[in-house]
Amino acid sequence: MNRRVRIAAAVGLAALVAGCAEDAPQDMFQPAGPNAQSIYDLSVPVFIIAGVIGVIVMVFIAIIVVKFRDRGQAIPDQVHGKPTLEIILTIIPALILIGVAIPTVGTIMALNDTSDTECVINVTGQQWWWEIDYPTQSGCGSGIDQPIITSGQMVIPIGTPVLVRGTSRDVIHSWWIPRLNGKRDMVPGRVHTNRIEADEPGIYAGQCTEFCGLSHANMRMEVIAMTPEDFEAWKLNQTKPYESPAEGTLAAKGEQTFISQCARCHQVNGLEDADGAPIVSRPDLSVYSGAAPNLTHLMTRNTFAGAAYNLLTPECRPKVWNAPSETVGAEYLKGVTPDCLNSVELREWLRNAPAKKPMYADPTKLEATDGLTRGMPNLALSEDQIDELVAYLLERH
Amino acid sequence: MFTTGSKFLVGAAVLATLSAIAYGVTQDGIMGTVGLGSAAVALWFLAGLNLYTRDNNYWADEIASIEQAPAAVPAPANSVWPFAFAFGAAVLAVGLVTYQAVFIIGVVLLLVSGAEWTAEAWAQSASADTGHNANVRDRIANPLEFPLAAAIGIGVVVYAFSRVMLFLSKTNTVIAFAVLGSIVIALAFFFAYRPRVPSKAAAVVIGVGALGLIAGGAAAGLSGEREIHPHETTSGLNEEGVDICTSPDEFEADLKASQSVSATAAVAATITLGSDGELSYDLNGPSAPGAVGITLPRSNPNNIIFQNRSGEPRRLSASLGTMVAEGSTNEVPVLMCTTLVDDGGAQNMTMRIDLPSITTPGGYSFFVPGVESAELNLVVP
Ligand code: HEC
Ligand SMILES: [Cu+2]
Repeated sequence: MNRRVRIAAAVGLAALVAGCAEDAPQDMFQPAGPNAQSIYDLSVPVFIIAGVIGVIVMVFIAIIVVKFRDRGQAIPDQVHGKPTLEIILTIIPALILIGVAIPTVGTIMALNDTSDTECVINVTGQQWWWEIDYPTQSGCGSGIDQPIITSGQMVIPIGTPVLVRGTSRDVIHSWWIPRLNGKRDMVPGRVHTNRIEADEPGIYAGQCTEFCGLSHANMRMEVIAMTPEDFEAWKLNQTKPYESPAEGTLAAKGEQTFISQCARCHQVNGLEDADGAPIVSRPDLSVYSGAAPNLTHLMTRNTFAGAAYNLLTPECRPKVWNAPSETVGAEYLKGVTPDCLNSVELREWLRNAPAKKPMYADPTKLEATDGLTRGMPNLALSEDQIDELVAYLLERH
Repeated sequence: MFTTGSKFLVGAAVLATLSAIAYGVTQDGIMGTVGLGSAAVALWFLAGLNLYTRDNNYWADEIASIEQAPAAVPAPANSVWPFAFAFGAAVLAVGLVTYQAVFIIGVVLLLVSGAEWTAEAWAQSASADTGHNANVRDRIANPLEFPLAAAIGIGVVVYAFSRVMLFLSKTNTVIAFAVLGSIVIALAFFFAYRPRVPSKAAAVVIGVGALGLIAGGAAAGLSGEREIHPHETTSGLNEEGVDICTSPDEFEADLKASQSVSATAAVAATITLGSDGELSYDLNGPSAPGAVGITLPRSNPNNIIFQNRSGEPRRLSASLGTMVAEGSTNEVPVLMCTTLVDDGGAQNMTMRIDLPSITTPGGYSFFVPGVESAELNLVVP
């Protein structure tokens, strides 16, 4: 084979193989709900039309290049203008474009419709994680009468059209769960909507799709869809009252360490100081974005810090993530049990968060400026403190 | 007999020799004397070589070659740009170790004089005719110079005027500029009807005027601006302890307040006061069905639009708990509000709330002063 042909073949093969992925959780060609399905139903025929036209054009170009190549023949007659041909070649593409535009505009309008959604969830992006809160409402199953606030993982009931209302606390981020819908930019000062709905229980992954700084690639999120019954159980658990660790335990020490080291940024609902007054975090005084994840029920999620790291060990994770749709809800609701806790990753995070998740390209900036940091700072904790904190956090179910 | 190169070298050699002697006598240092002596030897050697070869300048002595030389080209007139360029470099260097502003002036000076110098030098080689060369230069450079000079000139005039205006009191400014304007118009008439007045006189008048303006601007700028009464705002009054947010009455802050919002898409919520005296709201998307109020993210700038459809001028207020006033132990209510919105009008309010609503017994709420029934819960998780 001629060298050029070989290179072309190799490039073509590489391009083809690049399209293969065995485990592709963020695949818009595997729609898992009606919104993604409508995008899929639009993009496949449009892709086929575009592909056929592309092939026809390429074939014509090839024929012309080969057939009329310079063999020393005389230059043919030069004609100027051929109105019939020109009109035909204008009208045909226009008709094709109109044919594509009608279903496209229809789909876009349908995807923007917010009138029929039955559950409203707010998401707020910041460098580099998503906060998710459930406003009080009668929707979302049997209703929500106390706001729920979590991060990284959004839990929704299946078969329910959910309206995501999103904004951002710092820069523009973009919310995209490819198997549930297209993407939507989340812009500071504005509220944009994105409807999602899942047909089957499962874990649907996504990630921020608008470059938002150094750890943009570590800004991920998941939607966990579960049956309405499981969802009710999840809600109930999210609003249950706070329980202090049993006295004398490591976790009880951890609670004190948490109050002294972490509570200025992280809210744990129900946590009280020695006088019995509620402890209210003030992340706005410590972090640029003005927010830090609420850790009240940390162990009910199974990823952390922008869903970039696992709270489950590599052995336990597949039990939840690869569970069939009948059991995935129940598996998820188990949360992180002591034997499944990925203490390696969690400890790494507590030991030096910026070392795990890059927050500044320039390490000299890691020091707080005007008392503010981007993301979670290195708190220089001792290994004993970390032990206590892990024990305390493990009880945050 | 002495050619250009040898003049330089002989001079340098003499200098080095004298320096070596002077150094040896005054500093009695071996190393310095040896160094300067070596330089002197090297320079004398080069000077000798140069004298011998006559600078490699074959016609230095040949009268014939001088007689056959082409006609003299008029030397270009003295140029200010090399000087400005060097000055710019010096200013830049000084700026490096002092102030950034000085550095920037140096850079600008360097760039401008460099460009001018280049244009001039380029034009000088256009032909043997200096007049023509000057024209060439002008054709290239004027299209850039004139607008730039005009921009700078206008900038200086405007800035100087503004300083003077800000320095004088409100009434004095009006008087001063009315008088000044009259003088300018009078002068313009005078020059227009007396075309025979020498243009030099006009130039002098304008020059004196410009100088006066710049001097006045500088003087006024240095002595600062007059006290300017700031327009009251609801938040400002609030901070001063004026209960504007709980009052249905009109304050100065309410005068000339904006009554419409240009961008209404994608706000966090639109709150409407209806003619029935109730507050209703529209979130971007459905109101969370059965919600007990609006939920807004904490520590986030949330834009709320208030629409008034009640028939009376009203303001929307938000009650956001209490806080301990600075320098005291008194709890004071935290309030936020729009100015009075006329019937049919709308106004935007941006709220950033840093504490969750659970910190206040009873939570946060929106209300309308003077309308008892208008109340709406605000949840900040
Ligand atoms: C200066 C504020 C600040 C302090 C103090 C702080 N954190 Fe954080 N923490 C953050 C921020 C911001 C994030 C989110 C970072 C990200 O995802 O990029 C975070 C994330 C976390 C997460 C992941 C949570 C999730 O839902 O993804 C855990 C766990 C955590 N911190 C634990 C702690 C513990 C334990 C302490 C006390 C030792 C602590 N933090 C102290 C700001 C802080
Ligand atoms: Cu992002």
